[in-house]
Amino acid sequence: MFEFINQCHVRSVRGVLLAALAVLASCTSTTVDEFRQGETGIASDEAVVILGRRQASDYETRSEFVQCVGDRMARGEGAINVVPEQEFVDAMFPWFEPRTAPLRTRDLEQLMAENVVAEKMSEFGIRYIVWLDGSTETTDRQGSISCTIGPGGGGCFGFGTWEDDANFDARVWDVGSLTSVGTINTDATGQSYLPALVVPIPLIARVEANACSRLATQLKDFVNGS
Amino acid sequence: MSSRKSLIRLAALLGLTFLVGCGVSTVTIEGNFPTPNISKLPLNVAVYYDQSLRDFAYMEYSETGAEEFNVQSGQSHIALFNAVLPAMFDGVVVIDSLDDAVAAEVDAVFTPLIEEFQLALPMKTKLDVYEVWIKYNMRLATAEGDYIADWVLTSYGKTPTETFRSTEAAINDAAVVALRDLASSFSLSFAQVPEVRDWLAQL
Repeated sequence: MFEFINQCHVRSVRGVLLAALAVLASCTSTTVDEFRQGETGIASDEAVVILGRRQASDYETRSEFVQCVGDRMARGEGAINVVPEQEFVDAMFPWFEPRTAPLRTRDLEQLMAENVVAEKMSEFGIRYIVWLDGSTETTDRQGSISCTIGPGGGGCFGFGTWEDDANFDARVWDVGSLTSVGTINTDATGQSYLPALVVPIPLIARVEANACSRLATQLKDFVNGS
Repeated sequence: MSSRKSLIRLAALLGLTFLVGCGVSTVTIEGNFPTPNISKLPLNVAVYYDQSLRDFAYMEYSETGAEEFNVQSGQSHIALFNAVLPAMFDGVVVIDSLDDAVAAEVDAVFTPLIEEFQLALPMKTKLDVYEVWIKYNMRLATAEGDYIADWVLTSYGKTPTETFRSTEAAINDAAVVALRDLASSFSLSFAQVPEVRDWLAQL
């Protein structure tokens, strides 16, 4: 009888703990800042290409994040034609490699003076180039989990937590006027938890997914000029 | 008797597993290299791939001095040059010996060589990227073997760490980025190499 009550008590404590952690895990805060430098708008036969910056020595903008933003911009209300990053970079080879890619709009102007580049850009119908630069950092790792295995079975016990911070800048270049028309910054932070009561249960803050979603929505509105 | 045999088999299997786990991991670099979009130079060039380039392999050692990764990149370098050179010159022919250059009636013979290869792994650098750095010696000579130019070129490639990607796959990706970097800098800087520029002006 005592054992039954004890088991029920453990289960209810576990349930409350998990529910509390699930609520905490969903607490991701995202800030989006927009700085507009020029008028924007896009025709139905024009397209956008989103490219990741890969010049930094200690990190590089992940191609999965670039693809996520592109996919979200290409669907829903006000969808925009987005040229896939790898297709564009391969077609433009060797002009958009990490070492040769234009860093300023002045460099783009020089690049467009090359006939092969201007022709390819026209073939794709590129109106805007969006440069994504950023990464997701994990900080404040705390706690510990230990796992054991024996003849009667195994299990883990402990608690781990960490904070994720996804910070991305999107610089928008107008290929028509060869100018920078604006910058959008997205910063998403969230706390992740990993409680382990026999089985580890990861409660991950989806900071990068949130940053992608908010940035794509803002970029879509920005490019459409709304 | 049967259980003794089983025990020996099990011990042998465990031993083999242990040995395989400790062995060197071979990474053969594989990738696709796009053709550069550049203006062709009106030249017929022969390219000679030295045996040292064809067989080029780099061995990465662990901190205890054990062989860890054997990175074989010779064939991928040849695939890269075979994709890049026809986009740079009007005519390109691969020769098996430098003696074949005169018979090939070419303007110049190009010989790429790898001088140095470096690999940086996250477990050693404590950075979240895999890095590959390669130093080349590029040689250009006339069909008769007279010196035209000899210059050094470096290439660099990196790729971020990812949860579900093996170290071998990450090394391959970083090396492919480095090879693309070589292709871009070589194709764009070739005519700007001072000796090459002077030689082109004389033609």
